[in-house]
Amino acid sequence: MTAVINTTDLTKSYGEHRGILDVNLEINEGEVFGLLGPNGAGKTTCIRVFLDFIRPTSGSATVFVMDSRADSVQIRQRVGYLPGDFITYEKLTALELLEYFANLRSGNLVKARVLAERFNLDLTRKIGELSRGNRQKVGLVQAFMSDPDLLILDEPTTGLDPLLQQEFHELVIEESKAGKTLFVSSHMLAEVEIICDRVGIIREGSLVTVEEVAALRERALTQVEIEFDDTVSAADFEAVEGVTDVVASKHLFTCSVSGSVDSLIKAAAKHTVVRI
Amino acid sequence: MLRNVYLKTLRDAKRSIIYYTIGSIALGLYVTLFYPTIRDATGLTDFLEQLPEAMQALVGDAETYTTAEGFLNAEVFSFMGPMVFGVFAIIAGMGVIAGEEESHTLDQLLANPISRTSILIQKAGAMMTSVLALSVGLWIGLAGGSMLAGFDLSVTGTTQAILSLYLLGITLGFIALAVGAATGRKGLTGGIAATIGVVGFLLDTFLSVVDLLDPARFISVFYYFNSNNVMLNGINFVHFLTLISISAGAIVLSAWRFERRDLAS
Repeated sequence: MTAVINTTDLTKSYGEHRGILDVNLEINEGEVFGLLGPNGAGKTTCIRVFLDFIRPTSGSATVFVMDSRADSVQIRQRVGYLPGDFITYEKLTALELLEYFANLRSGNLVKARVLAERFNLDLTRKIGELSRGNRQKVGLVQAFMSDPDLLILDEPTTGLDPLLQQEFHELVIEESKAGKTLFVSSHMLAEVEIICDRVGIIREGSLVTVEEVAALRERALTQVEIEFDDTVSAADFEAVEGVTDVVASKHLFTCSVSGSVDSLIKAAAKHTVVRI
Repeated sequence: MLRNVYLKTLRDAKRSIIYYTIGSIALGLYVTLFYPTIRDATGLTDFLEQLPEAMQALVGDAETYTTAEGFLNAEVFSFMGPMVFGVFAIIAGMGVIAGEEESHTLDQLLANPISRTSILIQKAGAMMTSVLALSVGLWIGLAGGSMLAGFDLSVTGTTQAILSLYLLGITLGFIALAVGAATGRKGLTGGIAATIGVVGFLLDTFLSVVDLLDPARFISVFYYFNSNNVMLNGINFVHFLTLISISAGAIVLSAWRFERRDLAS
């Protein structure tokens, strides 16, 4: 399988500010890759290097096997980009903006109109008059309208209401099924879990780990607290699969569970459960 | 008007281009319609000749002041014209890259498949077009006004003087554009370009009065613009080429710097 994005010891230092350090990533064709990390961890820095807005201090990045610096224009021909806060020409109407960007890409507005309708976006209003959520919708439409092979989405659902977030997640899944590659940054594990196949976790500029979402979910700890009608002891549950950190005092029982909670529920069912 | 960056830039500046062009026409009309009063004022030449040299430098050459070309050289091409064209071009130049970067619209523009140099050149082209609109406006004002007032004006002299003024505007505008593309900071850009304009103007006017300092006039862009009194004597090709070289140099340097730096987020 070809790597769509490939970084080699990618480093960007900003002097006092933290950048990224020796990031090695390989994003495969057709996958939805999530870059997860707290704000300021370096997610946006990575993305800005891919789009050639900033240049690496050392190391390199390739997109579609082309150098992020030398072949930037050819790369951007095949990439759709949506930042978390979509800021653009406020005096243009949404339609004018989409027309302008479509012209710069030698494209058309066929898909844009379909997406606008789907997301219930009024194209006749000026961008400066739109609410944050509606502005973000314009950003979403312009990112997807040229049917790009790679979508780079930086905290894309910031400012979208939950219903719209759900619609957006569906769009991502559809695009992925259509063979597109998606690179999504987020600080929310829940979002990444829904849409991504693989996740890289970035902290303080360094890539900590890259894992399949399924494996991540497997290892994620769930905190459980159960109140029983009768008295239970820690020993009753310590042997249960995946259960750790058991604390039992008379009726109340707490523990952490990694992976499935099924075994714990079955063990608890031997007693009378008041509340979970 | 949304086909490319060049047209979009003109579209954004539409209102200001229209206002400044109207202003240029009005300036041409006002000065030419006023000229007969000066021409017919007896004793004005004598009065001007008695003024101190420093004052003459501001007003214009006393000997030619009462001729149409001399009067326009003094009234349009020594102060008002350069001011209107300079202010317009510097403001336009500031907005080219620094303006977009500070209003955070540059990222999204550059997410499209278009190179930074292409954006810079298209925006510089838009500036050349808009300063041309002002120039045509001034020409119409001067030609129309002289016809209305019923005196003959040298077409070659007027055209050459406006061409020189056009180049001055482009030079100041491109300097602003270059500083903006290199730094991404609009305030700094405006400050530097305006300083070059204002200090250049003052230097050129006053250094020309002090004989000892006269050779130092070459450091000001205004020297290349009209030290030859283009309206009366035609274009000095060395000066003309110097302004073109400064403009071209500013664009090349700014493209070189702009291609290499990080964009502000």
